[in-house]
Amino acid sequence: MLDAVGTMWGYRGLIGNLAQRELKAKYKKSVLGWVWSLINPAATLLIYAVVFGLFLRIQPPIAGNGHLKNFALYLFAALILWNYFNGVIAGGMASLLGAGPLIKKVYFPAECIIVANTVATLLQACVESLVMTAIMIVVGNASLTFLLFPFVLIMFVMFCLGVALIASLVNAYFRDVNYIVSIGMNLFFYATPIVYPLRIIPKEIHGIPARTIISLNPLAAFVQASRDIFYGLKVPSFAAWAYLLVWAVVMLALGWAVFIRFARDVAEEL
Amino acid sequence: MPGPASSSIAIEATDVSKRFRLYQDKPSSLKELVTSLKGVHYEEFWALRDISLEIPAGTTYGLVGHNGSGKSTLLRLFARIHRPTEGRVETRGRISALLDLGAGFHPELSGRENVYLNGAILGLTRREIAKAFDDIVGFAGLEKFIDSPVKVYSTGMYVRLGFSVAVHVKPEVLIIDEVIAVGDAEFQRRCFDYLYTLKRQGVTIVLVSHSLALMQDMCDRLAWLDHGHLAAEGLPMEITREYVQRVDDQEAERLHQGDVQAGEGTDQGSRHGTQEITVESFQILNAQGEEIPMAVTGEPTTLRINYNAKTPIENPSFGLVIDHENGSALVALHSADAIHTGLVYGKGYIDYRIPRFTLMPGKMIVTIGVADEHNLVAYDYLHQWYQFHVRGGRDVIVRGMLELPGHWEPPVSDARRSLTG
Repeated sequence: MLDAVGTMWGYRGLIGNLAQRELKAKYKKSVLGWVWSLINPAATLLIYAVVFGLFLRIQPPIAGNGHLKNFALYLFAALILWNYFNGVIAGGMASLLGAGPLIKKVYFPAECIIVANTVATLLQACVESLVMTAIMIVVGNASLTFLLFPFVLIMFVMFCLGVALIASLVNAYFRDVNYIVSIGMNLFFYATPIVYPLRIIPKEIHGIPARTIISLNPLAAFVQASRDIFYGLKVPSFAAWAYLLVWAVVMLALGWAVFIRFARDVAEEL
Repeated sequence: MPGPASSSIAIEATDVSKRFRLYQDKPSSLKELVTSLKGVHYEEFWALRDISLEIPAGTTYGLVGHNGSGKSTLLRLFARIHRPTEGRVETRGRISALLDLGAGFHPELSGRENVYLNGAILGLTRREIAKAFDDIVGFAGLEKFIDSPVKVYSTGMYVRLGFSVAVHVKPEVLIIDEVIAVGDAEFQRRCFDYLYTLKRQGVTIVLVSHSLALMQDMCDRLAWLDHGHLAAEGLPMEITREYVQRVDDQEAERLHQGDVQAGEGTDQGSRHGTQEITVESFQILNAQGEEIPMAVTGEPTTLRINYNAKTPIENPSFGLVIDHENGSALVALHSADAIHTGLVYGKGYIDYRIPRFTLMPGKMIVTIGVADEHNLVAYDYLHQWYQFHVRGGRDVIVRGMLELPGHWEPPVSDARRSLTG
């Protein structure tokens, strides 16, 4: 593990370069440029807020300051993480395939590509959380718990990187993983309490402990921590922190090990 | 990756084999994988078998062999792009490789961004790249285009930038596949000048080229690969001699088996003419007047054009042009310059006799024309229609395309003249 960290540090110049390239290429030739990175999540947020908040009337809990009750903000705290997850998985798969011409001609560890994409996408998540913080301060629902968010984010980055390493590697060998993943992402989105609070899931459906199953979903745990920090102004419980940490470390170690084991010959597959 | 045991070795290959799987119908989707599980359709192909060699640090090392002998695969293993299936490749020092046109360029990025990207891949810091940047662009001669995306570059521009980056990143080992040949003559000359400079600086260079003359010139040692096996390894003179001998023998055998005839047709030929006289065939004869499958450097040789004149023609002129396969025009022979051919009718032949054949080994492309005496009407014109091979006689050193008959006189110096005079 330390070895891997050392290698990545040695290639930090390349990772930085690749990440920069990703950011530049993303909004090249578009008039509004990086402003899209704010418009995009804002539009998503607006759509979900209207459909689920206004039409379906999903009731958010009362926020940490005791009187705020706003579905859009409740949603935003979860969407920050979901957008990141989505960006890292989809982007990771695309960037590994896109790097084919490069990997076939010069040697460098292929995991640099995925790490760079993870880093590039992180910028977006940081901007979104700053916007979130600013809004919360304006509406008067702010507290020092906000300072805990970076720790949640770091663990989430580890978790997402682990998943992205596996997804992009498998996708390099079998191209239709791409389609399976987009179905899976859709499923995952609704299996995670993002557009709804966990408590609207019945405790049991036909004897199946539905709520427990949903809450064990690692994404649900991350989303819950983000909501506690930004919306509920609560410090997540020790058990919650431990759960997140375990998922972060296990997923990253697993993803890394799988990638190292099977990516050695990936140049022949791209 | 652990380096070779001795610090004086730059690259060490130990019992290296590389297997590729050639999928007839590669299952690239899960559905195909599942349906093909009963029998996955691929053939195994060993590109390299049990290669062991050491490349001492600071040497210029060449790989020779016919197409498909595994040269490029071996370079890719050295550059760590592929992994050996069996055995080990160990390297020491920063490796820079130019294996393809614009190795590792991203088409959408500008030349400038690609230079930085490539530098970063090779492990240079931003500052180091910035320092070398002007040299890189200047050497490639791309000052005007450096901010355009490389997808609009011509092939020559690609190669120039690729080569320039590869050699300017302070490599300790430089690996170059046969790509320089793409650039123009002026750029090639600068490339080789630069390679000699790097060689003097002690950079280890591993090189593939089909030009044996170049390999003899540049390399300290050569390895000869044959069908993925290491056929021989040693000093350039010995290896090229052995290699050329083998190629000649194989070629002679192939010709002997009747696979190919001297005067065999080419693929790219074109033919036109009024057909009053047609060229029926082209032959090569030895001193005894027997038809031979390939010409031999240094031997008496006759080139024969067999024709068929359907109507009587007064004084037609015959022409024969020989080009080297590399495109150089070597000789143009016109009967009208030397003789009157007189009245020609029916089938017959005309010979060009050569007391000593002076073309060096290689493949020759032949153009034959028959025209009227004023060279106004082409009866039959066969552009690059035939081909033949030349093989080396004994003691022929393969350099250049021509032998120039002559002899050396003893040196004459002022000092000696004054002593004897």
